[in-house]
Amino acid sequence: MAKKNIRNFSIIAHIDHGKSTIADRLIEYTGTLSSREMEAQVLDNMDLERERGITIKAQTVRLAYKGKDGETYELNLIDTPGHVDFTYEVSRSLAACEGALLVVDAAQGVEAQTLANVYMALEHDLEIVPVINKIDLPSADPDRVKQEIEDAIGLDTENAVLASAKTGIGIEEILDAIVEYIPAPEGDEKKPLQALIFDSYFDAYKGVIAHVRVKEGRIEKGMRLKMMATGKVFEVTDVGYFAPTLVDTGRLEVGEVGFVAGSLKDVRDVRVGDTITFADSPAAEPLPGYRGVTPMVYCGLYPVDSADYDNLKDALEKMQINDAALVFEPETSVALGFGFRCGFLGLLHMDVIQERLEREYKLKLITTAPSVIYHVYKTDGTMVQVANPSELPPQTEIEHIEEPYVKATVIVPSDYVGAVMEISQEKRGTFKNMDYLDTNRVMITYHIPLNEIIFDYFDRLKSATRGYASLDYELADYETSKLVKVDVLLNGDPVDALSTIVHKDRAASRGRQLVSKLKEIIPQQMFEIPIQAAIGSKVIARENVRARRKDVLAKCYGGDITRKRKLLEKQKEGKKRMKAVGSVEVPQEAFMAILKID
Amino acid sequence: MEEAVRPWGVYIHIPFCKSKCFYCDFPSYAGREAFMGDYVKALVKEIETIGALRVEAAGTPATIYIGGGTPSLLPMELLETLLAALRRIFIEADFPQGERARERAEAGAVEYTLECNPGTVDLDKLKLCRMLGVNRLSFGVQSFDDRLLRRIGRIHTGLEAMRSLHLARIAGFDNISMDLMYGLPEERLEDFRHDLQAMAELSPEHISVYGLQLELGTAFYQMQEKGRLTLPSDEETEAMYDLMADFLPEKGYERYEISSFAWPGRQSRHNLSYWQDAEYLGLGAAAHSYLGAMRYENTHDILAYIEGIRAGESVRRLEEQVTEKAHKEEFCFLALRTREGIEKAAFLETFGVPIEEIYDEAIRNLVGKKLLEETETHLHLTPLGMKYGNMAFEAFLF
Repeated sequence: MAKKNIRNFSIIAHIDHGKSTIADRLIEYTGTLSSREMEAQVLDNMDLERERGITIKAQTVRLAYKGKDGETYELNLIDTPGHVDFTYEVSRSLAACEGALLVVDAAQGVEAQTLANVYMALEHDLEIVPVINKIDLPSADPDRVKQEIEDAIGLDTENAVLASAKTGIGIEEILDAIVEYIPAPEGDEKKPLQALIFDSYFDAYKGVIAHVRVKEGRIEKGMRLKMMATGKVFEVTDVGYFAPTLVDTGRLEVGEVGFVAGSLKDVRDVRVGDTITFADSPAAEPLPGYRGVTPMVYCGLYPVDSADYDNLKDALEKMQINDAALVFEPETSVALGFGFRCGFLGLLHMDVIQERLEREYKLKLITTAPSVIYHVYKTDGTMVQVANPSELPPQTEIEHIEEPYVKATVIVPSDYVGAVMEISQEKRGTFKNMDYLDTNRVMITYHIPLNEIIFDYFDRLKSATRGYASLDYELADYETSKLVKVDVLLNGDPVDALSTIVHKDRAASRGRQLVSKLKEIIPQQMFEIPIQAAIGSKVIARENVRARRKDVLAKCYGGDITRKRKLLEKQKEGKKRMKAVGSVEVPQEAFMAILKID
Repeated sequence: MEEAVRPWGVYIHIPFCKSKCFYCDFPSYAGREAFMGDYVKALVKEIETIGALRVEAAGTPATIYIGGGTPSLLPMELLETLLAALRRIFIEADFPQGERARERAEAGAVEYTLECNPGTVDLDKLKLCRMLGVNRLSFGVQSFDDRLLRRIGRIHTGLEAMRSLHLARIAGFDNISMDLMYGLPEERLEDFRHDLQAMAELSPEHISVYGLQLELGTAFYQMQEKGRLTLPSDEETEAMYDLMADFLPEKGYERYEISSFAWPGRQSRHNLSYWQDAEYLGLGAAAHSYLGAMRYENTHDILAYIEGIRAGESVRRLEEQVTEKAHKEEFCFLALRTREGIEKAAFLETFGVPIEEIYDEAIRNLVGKKLLEETETHLHLTPLGMKYGNMAFEAFLF
């Protein structure tokens, strides 16, 4: 395809503003899939994605469209992950495009996450086509939303398309706008190859499939190519485009978007953001913007049944094949036995991985509370990174500790500004900025420890703003904080997996809250269980779980047997997630208790 | 007639009571005495059809148990009709000459129990039962304390319970069981101690002791929901449990099951058969059967039962097909209720695989917690294990 007839674009939208539905309509309208082949929301094909209504893995599809000028255009839609955890992946997807559709709900208006992605798109010099979606809603107010887009983003909305993906209004107009306003790709097919990897996945037959955008040069089957960051060399076995299934065309031309495979076994050789070039006469420079994977959040994953350790390891390895952002290493806990410390891009990423391990691999897991990475400067002048609170060196060896801070952006109706500020202050945030997006909506920026974000910050915001708050954050820097480790002792024994790092001024109250929460969670057992919170050797809080007095069905005769077995089954089901810590049976929720206190 | 390969039992349900006790969730109904005649008629027909078929296939039963409800509430003539039918089908079937059959029954070859409530029996009724083959009585005493009895909805007094026992002795019964309850509203440890002492002085051959459980659909359950029930604390109830577990063995009663105590040789063979995976045929409304890995349940509705039997329709529905997995679970948790526990050889014979191969982890875990004891031939609960029986039972569920 001639470059001038190619258009590469993404869709930027807040969750629920209709990104997937618009993508579906575009696919349907261009006849890429017959309606019989159309499943609802074609692009979100992981079960979990459907359930949560979000996109986790980016998907790509090529659409053929005959424009008003009678020419056929190749439109490459690159669907981006729609969550703050995947900011880097979004940035690479955007770097593969010349333009983006900005989808905004005609009733809801602009949200924090939308803004963050729009700014990112603008940084990549993308041409942005605003689409006001859901104009069929009775509460739709396209003019207000247009004004908001102009005020908040400074975008001209003269060419904005009014659409309703649900009813099919405006779909053709969107396609025409893509052709008309989004520039054709540039690049020189004679230059040495530079192809940007913006996603990858593992295929059982073809090995790792890289999603690429050819920036310079061209790719053909049989070529020997090289990953510039990882150094991996491979021969192209399959190359082509997405429809959205793989269509092998034997080549990708400059400006095109498609896939490359070369019997690559390890997804870690195929890094998002890396540049593919010729193995023998490489490009002088890689494309800009590559960044290694940096997990933001860590937690321990342990099998409830220690016999499942190898299964968990296999499962993590299999997941890693498809998810280069997942890191893990073996870890041993006195309380929980053998498991893994796993690093994730964020809380959603963590949730998704845990849920997939349990669903797809049928594993019963104990998850410890998430932690950030602390930089611990020791008195001997060295610095250690601590991702597991129980590994914090003794207080006497610590000179100071630094923790990660983020720039958090919250958008709320102006009525809730006070509530947002109160919560943010309480979460050790420093106020940075406040902007009115329009007369009613405000964008507030805080400098706040990441640790506080992963502790129920968003939940609190949501409940204090009746669900109106939207949040986006990005890593800002590391700063010194007065932090201490609070340990928990069950029945007199410290339980390493319950240790937590908190700010010194809150240690006492956190300790008390944690202990009383644990008292609610830990069921009565055959003996009394003291629960204590301690800093070093100093106990700061204590509660007792009283002993269960007796526990036996008094009667069980002929007519009772089925019923009693079901009763026992129900009780047992409730205990399946318990882990024996010393002599105490501890339910899974206990390890997350720290997140549940207010 | 061919001998049954394994002993089996018959359960007969009599769903009538003078009044409903506040804790009771059994299928029994007060104020429906008018249906007793039709009910016994239907029951006899079921005995003569379903019962006779079973005997033809499996021989006569080892035990017969008439429970309720309150079987002793049946008037003399209905009781006689019922007992005669039972004797004809389940006892004499073996011996066309009835005389030898009676000798056998009297010698205790068949354990034949009738449940009674104090205050519903007189000497004539008891003598009739004895004459027609009943050789064991089970009295629902619950307490000797009239105040407590009233509080749980019982309609007899402690004195009547004692009198009933004496009448039973006069009628010639030498195998009598009495039930006690503890953990009753506003009951104190001392109250329960008095009950235990009174019981020991009466010296029945068998005693069952049940902690009160609040079951859905009972008057107590509703009172509890409304906060109008003052039960003893967990600590106090535990003390009662401990008292029972210590006191009765001291008086010569062997604890052969979690809630059952008996003089040597006087265990309830019928109840034991439930815990030892034996088959049983239940007749009457709401009676349960366990036959050929199936559990059945007769309709609970007295009128539907009477009509169904009269019309020659089946009144039984399949409650559950016991899978191999469920069978293993039940085999174990039922056997663990008994002092003897799980007989390893019986497990192997039933399932074709040694129990250690299937429950190795559960066994080690429970032994480690001192809930279970393992011998060469058996696995049985320790006294601690009996107290926390549910924890042990659960471990045998997959």
